[in-house]
Amino acid sequence: MLPAEIEDLLRREAPRVLGALVRRYGHFDLAEDAVQEALLAAATRWPAEGVPERPRGWLLTVASRRLTDLLRAESARRRREDTIARRVLPDERLAPAADRAPADTDDTLVLLFLCCHPALTPAGQIALTLRAVGGLSTAEIARAFLVPEATMTRRISRAKQRIAASGIPFAPPDRTEYAGRLGAVLRVLYLIFNEGYASTAGPRLARTELTGEAIRLTRLVHRLLPADGEVAGLLALMLLTDARRPARTGPAGELVPMAEQDRSRWDAEAIAEGIALVTAALPRGPTGPYQLQAAIAAVHDEAGCAADTDWPQILALYEVLLRVDGSPVVRLNHAVAVAMVRGPRAGLDALDALDAQVRLGDHRPDAVRGHLLELAGELPAARERYLAAAARATSLPHQRYLHARARRLPGPDEPGTQA
Amino acid sequence: MKYMILLFGSQRDYDAMAGRPGAEPAWTGEDVAKLAEFMESWWAEVVESGEAVDAQGLTAPVHARRVQLVDGAPVVTDGPYAETQEVLAGYNIVDCDSFDRAVEIAARLAGTPHPAGALPDRGWYVDVRPVASGAEDSLA
Repeated sequence: MLPAEIEDLLRREAPRVLGALVRRYGHFDLAEDAVQEALLAAATRWPAEGVPERPRGWLLTVASRRLTDLLRAESARRRREDTIARRVLPDERLAPAADRAPADTDDTLVLLFLCCHPALTPAGQIALTLRAVGGLSTAEIARAFLVPEATMTRRISRAKQRIAASGIPFAPPDRTEYAGRLGAVLRVLYLIFNEGYASTAGPRLARTELTGEAIRLTRLVHRLLPADGEVAGLLALMLLTDARRPARTGPAGELVPMAEQDRSRWDAEAIAEGIALVTAALPRGPTGPYQLQAAIAAVHDEAGCAADTDWPQILALYEVLLRVDGSPVVRLNHAVAVAMVRGPRAGLDALDALDAQVRLGDHRPDAVRGHLLELAGELPAARERYLAAAARATSLPHQRYLHARARRLPGPDEPGTQA
Repeated sequence: MKYMILLFGSQRDYDAMAGRPGAEPAWTGEDVAKLAEFMESWWAEVVESGEAVDAQGLTAPVHARRVQLVDGAPVVTDGPYAETQEVLAGYNIVDCDSFDRAVEIAARLAGTPHPAGALPDRGWYVDVRPVASGAEDSLA
């Protein structure tokens, strides 16, 4: 087996082994150290000695032995320190729940539920998921989020401490909280994808290592829960969005809006997979926000050119989406769809209604307003909005894009023709 | 010992880089890409040598808010800087064996690519300052 294949195998097995270990012994923190050491042993020995017949069993044995050592050292230390408050393992305190998953359930999923537990902060959920389930090193995660490694180390150990302190059991959530807990998992995966795609920091627009990892993890969850429409919807949304990435930036890293993108550079394979996923999920219902967003992305991706976009269908999908998710961003996009179907004036009216109720506090409302005013032929006003949006934008690519739009339009003192 | 390398810029510099209509000199997309590449590889070397601690860039001065005491009450002012006033634009913290080594790293920034005329009249500079690591240091 090639080193790359061994690495793939190890990354696939890591969350399963960690999950199995935590299920048996508790001690998330020490179990993680034990699994890391087992993985390291495998990474150094397998390329030379060959991969054992049952790799997972091998890893589990080595990790269990290491964990026993660590627990022994830990308990000796505790005795030395004369610790009175002995922690009771969740397994010892609680009888197994009646609906507890049978032992052959993939522990990866339970591990994901643990890492995305609502008791953790979003930053902690993300870091722990990438580390424990994604198998990335702390240094890799720190680099992806552009923070110092020490910061990421602290973030991860705080999350682990919180799990230890709150005694969160390593068990699948029961039926009453299942949907909410799965929702938290999907939100974390979506945040990881978005951080990579929309990149809130740095001069670059996309950090592909994060989008790639988010897609890999969501694919994993989809394999574990093939019947869940929202899992399929999220995977489809990621694929359909990421498919446009090659066309989203120009040669110098500048932002290219969807209408002007070279669609031959879109990833046809990813689009086909995304469309197939959302098409299969939609009729199964109930239709959640990820499926709806994926369906909207699919309509965009299906259009051979911007002019062919089926805007009435997109508008209809946004109307449904608004009923489940009335967030400012969705309403902003809805206003754009209104403009594309009923004309820029109708879109501007929808924006006015939006402004009266919420403030996004960033550049997007001004950018959309500029675009719609430009479509309506009110060029000096459009220019002003683009400039206002650029002044609010904090990322250099966005600022440069908005300034470029403004530069093409005449100023208030020169009501001439469009440049 | 930790050292902070401080980089400065004015609102005018930020506007030029962001391609604001009328701002001089006009930075092209290639100019911006070249700068980003330079800064990335400069910092990547420091990360590689194990001396990198932290790096942050700050948004334009127009986004700044100043909180100051006026007649005993805190008053907030938006973007209180003049167009050409140099303010902190970003910093890099390095952990080096010597002040000379930190200065050596900072001096490589003198090769930062930029379009002709982008350097303000004051010329180019960065500051390198030792970070006070504890109470003892700061009181010494």
